[in-house]
Amino acid sequence: MKEIKIGLATCGIAAGGEAVFNEIKKEINENKIDVVLKETGCMGMCYQEVLVEVSGSEIPGSFMYSRVTPDKVKRIIREHIMENKPVQDWLIKGNGEFHGFSDNFFEKQKRIVLRNCGVIDPDSIDEYIANDGYKAIQKCLNEYTPEQVIEIISKSGLRGRGGGGFSTGLKWKLARQAAGTKKYIICNADEGDPGAFMDRSTLEGDPHSVLEGMMVAAYAIGADEAYVYARAEYPLAVRRLKESIEKLEKRGFLGQNIFGSRMNFLVHIKEGAGAFVCGEETALIGSIEGKRGVPRVRPPFPAQKGLWGKPTNINNVETFANVPWIILNGADAFNSMGTEKSKGTKVFALAGKIMRSGLAEVPMGITINEIVYDVGGGIKNNKAFKAVQMGGPSGGCIPKEMGNLKIDYDEITRTGAIMGSGGLIVLDETTCMVDLAKFFLNFTQNESCGKCTFCRIGTKRMLEILERITIGEGKDGDIELLEDLALKIKASSLCGLGQTAPNPVLTTAKYFRSEYESHIRDKKCPAHHCPALLTYSIDAEKCTGCTLCARKCPVNAITGAKKEVHAIDTAKCIKCGLCFDACRFGAVVKD
Amino acid sequence: MKQITITINGKEITAAEGKTILEVVHENKLDKIPTLCYDGRIEPYGSCFLCVVEIQGMNRLVASCCTPIAQGMVIFTDNEKIRNSRKTALELLLSNHYADCIGPCINNCPANVDAQGYIALISMGKYDEALQLIKKQNPLPLSIGRVCVRDCEVACRRQIIDESVAINHLKRYVADIDAGHHWTPELKKPTGKKIAVVGGGPSGLTCAYYSTLEGHKVTIFEKLPRLGGMLMYGIPEYRLPKAVLDDEINWITGLGVDVKTNAAVGKDFDIQSLFKDGFDAVYLAVGAHKASTMRIEHEEDTVGVMGGIDFLRQLPEKHPKLEGTVIVVGGGNTAIDAARTALRCGADKVRIVYRRSINEMPAHPEEVHAAQAENIEILFLTNPKGIVRDENKKLKGIVCLKMELVAAGPGERPKPVPKEGSDFELPCDFLIGAIGQQVDTDFNKVISASTSVDLEKWGTVKINNDTMETSIQGVFAGGDAVTGPDTAINSIGQGKRAARAIDFYLKYGKVEKSLKPFYSFKHKFSEVTQVELSHFPKTERNRLKELPVAQRVSTFDEVEFGYSGEQAQAEPKRCLECGCSEYYDCDLRRHADDFNIDISTYMGETRKYKVDTRHPFIVMDPNKCINCGRCVRTCSEILKVSALGFVYRGFKSVVKPAMEKPLLETNCIACGNCVDNCPTGALTEKFPFKVLGTLPKQNIETVCNFCSIGCKVNFKVIDDNIFFVSNSTEELKNSLNRGYLCVKGRFGHRYLMDSPRLKQPLMKDSTGGFKEVGWDKAIDHTAERVKSIIAKYGPQSVAVFGSPRMSNEELYLLQKFTRAGLKTNNTGSFYNVLYGKQQDSLDSFIGYTASTVSMDSLRTADVVVVVNGNLSEENLVMELNIKEAQKKNGTKLILLNSSEIILTKTADLWIDSRKGSNTVLLNSIIRHVIEKGLFDKDQASTPGFEELKQMAAEYTPEEAIEAADISTEKYNRMLEWIENPDRKIVFIYNIDSVRDKSPNDLKAIGNFLQLTGRLGKNDSGSGIIILSEYANSAGLMDMGVTPRYLPGYVKEFEKDEIKRIGNAWGVDLTPIFQPADLADRLLKGEIKALLIFGEDPLNVTEHVRYFKGIEFLMVQDLVQTDTAAEADVVFPAASFIEQAGTYTACDGRIQETERIVSLKVDRENWKLIAGLAAKFGLPMDYASIEQVNQEIRNVNRSWNGSAAGKNLNETGKPQFSVYSTDMSVYQPEMPVIHYPDSYFKLLQEDLKYRSAGSE
Repeated sequence: MKEIKIGLATCGIAAGGEAVFNEIKKEINENKIDVVLKETGCMGMCYQEVLVEVSGSEIPGSFMYSRVTPDKVKRIIREHIMENKPVQDWLIKGNGEFHGFSDNFFEKQKRIVLRNCGVIDPDSIDEYIANDGYKAIQKCLNEYTPEQVIEIISKSGLRGRGGGGFSTGLKWKLARQAAGTKKYIICNADEGDPGAFMDRSTLEGDPHSVLEGMMVAAYAIGADEAYVYARAEYPLAVRRLKESIEKLEKRGFLGQNIFGSRMNFLVHIKEGAGAFVCGEETALIGSIEGKRGVPRVRPPFPAQKGLWGKPTNINNVETFANVPWIILNGADAFNSMGTEKSKGTKVFALAGKIMRSGLAEVPMGITINEIVYDVGGGIKNNKAFKAVQMGGPSGGCIPKEMGNLKIDYDEITRTGAIMGSGGLIVLDETTCMVDLAKFFLNFTQNESCGKCTFCRIGTKRMLEILERITIGEGKDGDIELLEDLALKIKASSLCGLGQTAPNPVLTTAKYFRSEYESHIRDKKCPAHHCPALLTYSIDAEKCTGCTLCARKCPVNAITGAKKEVHAIDTAKCIKCGLCFDACRFGAVVKD
Repeated sequence: MKQITITINGKEITAAEGKTILEVVHENKLDKIPTLCYDGRIEPYGSCFLCVVEIQGMNRLVASCCTPIAQGMVIFTDNEKIRNSRKTALELLLSNHYADCIGPCINNCPANVDAQGYIALISMGKYDEALQLIKKQNPLPLSIGRVCVRDCEVACRRQIIDESVAINHLKRYVADIDAGHHWTPELKKPTGKKIAVVGGGPSGLTCAYYSTLEGHKVTIFEKLPRLGGMLMYGIPEYRLPKAVLDDEINWITGLGVDVKTNAAVGKDFDIQSLFKDGFDAVYLAVGAHKASTMRIEHEEDTVGVMGGIDFLRQLPEKHPKLEGTVIVVGGGNTAIDAARTALRCGADKVRIVYRRSINEMPAHPEEVHAAQAENIEILFLTNPKGIVRDENKKLKGIVCLKMELVAAGPGERPKPVPKEGSDFELPCDFLIGAIGQQVDTDFNKVISASTSVDLEKWGTVKINNDTMETSIQGVFAGGDAVTGPDTAINSIGQGKRAARAIDFYLKYGKVEKSLKPFYSFKHKFSEVTQVELSHFPKTERNRLKELPVAQRVSTFDEVEFGYSGEQAQAEPKRCLECGCSEYYDCDLRRHADDFNIDISTYMGETRKYKVDTRHPFIVMDPNKCINCGRCVRTCSEILKVSALGFVYRGFKSVVKPAMEKPLLETNCIACGNCVDNCPTGALTEKFPFKVLGTLPKQNIETVCNFCSIGCKVNFKVIDDNIFFVSNSTEELKNSLNRGYLCVKGRFGHRYLMDSPRLKQPLMKDSTGGFKEVGWDKAIDHTAERVKSIIAKYGPQSVAVFGSPRMSNEELYLLQKFTRAGLKTNNTGSFYNVLYGKQQDSLDSFIGYTASTVSMDSLRTADVVVVVNGNLSEENLVMELNIKEAQKKNGTKLILLNSSEIILTKTADLWIDSRKGSNTVLLNSIIRHVIEKGLFDKDQASTPGFEELKQMAAEYTPEEAIEAADISTEKYNRMLEWIENPDRKIVFIYNIDSVRDKSPNDLKAIGNFLQLTGRLGKNDSGSGIIILSEYANSAGLMDMGVTPRYLPGYVKEFEKDEIKRIGNAWGVDLTPIFQPADLADRLLKGEIKALLIFGEDPLNVTEHVRYFKGIEFLMVQDLVQTDTAAEADVVFPAASFIEQAGTYTACDGRIQETERIVSLKVDRENWKLIAGLAAKFGLPMDYASIEQVNQEIRNVNRSWNGSAAGKNLNETGKPQFSVYSTDMSVYQPEMPVIHYPDSYFKLLQEDLKYRSAGSE
């Protein structure tokens, strides 16, 4: 039986996947072909969406079409499905081999968390079960005591993938040891970092692995109730979770005496209202309890006093998704990957000025250069690599000079950045590092809950200083003022948001100090990015007098007759850059 | 609790695990860690980060308020890093604190006169107080009120709306009122130190005044014949009449200042000679009296040319005669003064020549306008170039040049430059050069071999600006001599500063720089715009009446008249009250001072909000909010009301009610506990006054006069008639009510300020109208009427009533007067007449019907049972204490109440019994306890036990459940919680509440407690707290203001006690003390003369039935009540804050109160009773209320044991307690108070169970 799979995660939908899906359905109906059409999740190659995979035809193996649009559907159906002739022009993979397209995107990847993403239909429990689904929990229930489960997880070396990097085994152990009969599991699916979408893809592509991970954790600590705190901005993920939970309840996988054991387990979904700080565990708990999402003092830690005052274990989506694999494959299979203190794999969301943006799961210990060049295919538009920004708004920038750094929790922390949840933004020579720091600080400043003085007002003041620097009003001493305030904010804030918010500023000021100095002293932006610091002029040698720039200029600041060298009146120029973009001869100079 | 050891600042400390660092540091008094968000009564929060400390081995600083100690922790609470972080935290907070600490008016005044403060006082009609406030900074308000340049008005924000507040006119208004008597503060004891003030101008006079107040002996040396300096010799009479100035000068010198006029320093003596003459310090304030030259040729030697200041200097002695045309050169106030004076001296035409334009003119615009109104012509952009004179050197005119203005540097006035060839001639007869003055440095001449003070190169005296010291030790200088010609108010400011510096110097031998306090100002953030002030309507400034122009140009009469009374009341309403009412209580400002804050580093965007004044009692100014959340947390954690919360996130987040609704539309109960918890001025009480200044307040603690809980309240007193309740002091947090109050306690006491009080006794005349009479006459008349009624109907026809809000002393005297004076037992209160039914319910068990345990028993109780009443409305603080017990100790709260009230939300078990069925429920519990044998076995042999058993047997659980209409489950749970004889159970019962009562509830509770051995046992921790509506309901009974008992609950059968008390009073009480039903006597019309103290029964019309037989009615009250309106004689009463006394709270705590404000009536309340008693042959010659208190200690047996001495409560106030049988638990160090043994014996004989069935 032929099978057509179409990636309908958010990335696929955003690329027009639904229209392609409808078109295929229409074609199948019109041509009355006997073929199974399936949805699947994201396989990580977001840069190639819409992806359509055809398999089970007379030709062995599967064939992957990339960047499929509705108008390509007719030909694929007719030639590939009906005539068994794959459309060579659009294929990126055929017969299990990469074909005609030198994409080694998957070469250095190792897929554990994403093992089912893009492979199975996330709406089908059966497909999950067919891929060893719910075997891990049954194995735990039948073969291991909770303590043994904790031992396996501890031994695997799994650390919290939400960014904290705390030992998952130890966290479970503390929750197990906490006094009390009522305990909770919380899955933190409040993925809020700009540019990060690991958890979304996992929930969209393989919700059951997360739910199964939660079951194992619940068994291990002795919880009988769980919450998934998911962003309301992830409607597809929330829908899939809800439907999956309903199906599990129907099958008796959730509820009383699951899998015939003595264990009871219920899972609820709580949709977050969009506050970034609710990703912080104590704020998240407050939010589930119906309170304002504001971090509270620790200790007591959630493991002692969490949701409704009961011992609570919180892990992130990716952490839970690792768990069933570890149980089934053993701790050693997991801890054989990675570095001394960071084991297993990590999913990164590649974004920015990189050729292949998307999701990549790589073993710990891979270098930054390998990710950027080998997995990500290098920098777009032949620009020079400048730095990577890791760890979202709480993270920092690592310059290209440190490209051989092995990715590992502790190595990255040493640079001033953090592993974070896995956002990895690649920056090229056109990125202004001051502006970048301003961007991230603006984010955290807006997302501060407003409780702590330093975070609430301090980040605002830092942002104001950055703003004045980028418009050429920076003063001598501003860098020192920024650094002083940054350290105080880090030292005197209650939660991770405040404690890390200054990181983008601190790392850029550390590795790219001269860029700050140029803005302040020379009133120049070396990356030619900050509009207020730019001057546009015309290179007389290159100008052909085509008048295009003058016609584009919205304020008539460019003068010059046809076929004569043009000139820009800098007094009139509003630095919009339209002329620079318009010139086909590189005659407009930005400085 | 496990003890652990930590090290703080190098010192090893042992403390209980679970405590926070801040608690340990403060408990051990190791350091004062600053904090804004911490309040020990609510959960630690950790938001302000002012309390950060360093823990060894930790990179971050931690908030000490929410970090628990851990074994071996090494903590530092003060070092460079910590101070730095705290300072930054404050700077950040203040960079987003769009608010004014003080009014810009005050800040801009060189003498820092509290303009907003005196405007506020004037608005309240407190003219004396306003003047007293002014005189704290400025001793010359009469003169300055006329001539000040008004820097205050220049800064006044009102200008943004229309015109500045006429601050100076208001000052003149109160100064004019004061002119007759010249209020003077008390002078300090003479110090024996002598100060020489050289120069008798405003600066010298000011220094002399404040130095004299400090007890120093001052001598003023003045070169000219009269004191006053430029006020005398520079300001013309039509602006400042010499008589007014002299009056003010004479007042100052009259305080004991020696004056030597015509004594010129540098000529008659020198500085050093003063020290030889025995002066300890010198203040040099010689002024700047030398006219600057115009620098034109022949200026010096032409007849008709003179200096402006020289011209004006003649005025005090004579009015020079001028004629023809006078030209005055200059643009300052002296030029205007010279010009207007020239006109009054007979000049035909006066012109002013000024080289710049009107915009640059330094003279006060009002003066310029006045001159123009008087037809004085001003030639702008004109400058004299030369003099035209005849051969006799007599002036004929001047040659002038036209000028042009060219822009100068930033902040500078434009520069005038001559226009080439614009010369023109102006004929004139006199030329007055008023372009400025200089210091005449002749003063510095040295007569004998001694040194002179250092001068600046331009001739002024050089001083250290921080200390006012010159180059010679002990010599200080100020005024124009230091600043060059400046304003009078500036000289006054310097004089005051110099006086302070000299005082310091004389006391300590040196002067220290005083730190400038931190002030936040809105205009430092951004320009204050009209939009922000748009809610203020425009109102025109009240103008002074002036002498008509025609009249004034020919005389030197004062041109401006002062304000009328109406104007003085209208003008203060224009004040925008910029300065913060919490100025003196703001923690944020206090810390800012401590850390020497500079907010300029972090200036940026600020939040701006409209002030919300919609709530009747609470003003919210979110601009001042620092997000500490203390209000939010108090409202949710303590009150469980949650009317306030945070809105928005991040920088924009701020405390407001949800959805930004007005507070009034939330479920706010107006308890105001948020206001007390606000460390800044973001939440303040809405004052009933017109304007509130930044006035200092005094904290005085007393006891609330509303309900019977006896909460500590703190009065913040600004003035005898301006005060409010604010429980924000630290001490109160340790009181029984932990500082918390209900709406009545906090805002209710306002009636003491607002109400129109009775001031004089009133007597009804023949027409039925009232007329004011003297006290003696009213007392005589009352005594006569009562005597004639006794003569006619006998002593039983008189009754004396007192209020349960009166003090124990008043009540004691009241019943003593009745029994020993009037010889009748008719003493009581409408409180017992109306509520009396249950008031003996527990007598048969314990001898009285009052609480058997203290409020503290809540702290140990396992179960609290609230039977009837609505605590939230009636006794809120009791509710808060129960919530605290639930939270801290897991105490279970059972609520027996038919209706849903606020407490049902937090009750652990709400028995929603049908109204009136509680007795049935309780009786069925008694049956259960007897059946299961869960009672005190000793009780089985007590008389009445069998009857009780029989009675209770009728109340089966099924019947009880049906009667109460509750679920079996609830019933069973209630049984389960209270059946265990080992549990500490406290019942709470409001005897005055009208809700849900069934008549025998109290007896049933008594039965249950007695049966289970929970009554009368010292350590049981179980019992009942009986609440009531009035502050001294318990004292009323204890003092014997009831026909039922003599003081100390002495009953009819206690013959020995009756005899003992009678002996103490000198009467035989046996025939007098005959208990009777007062209500019955009133209703039957047997009472003919009724004396009512502090009660208003006729405010309920139907109570008129009690007044049937009344032929004579006397009432004493604060205000003209409904009852007083019917009286024959009305006496004014003093309020409880005007006199000392003791009050007995619901649980027997006796708390002393002191006088808080001065007496508003002629005598304290007890003196009326004493006055009446004297007429009936009962002398009450107590020297004070304290003596009455002593007598109570001797007479009232329940006060025995307290006679030995006073005991102190948690906040250090005298307190002791009656009733409680469990004193050792309550206050271990206090002696346990028992009734005398004989009393217990009698009780036991009388003890029997009362059959308590459902009636």
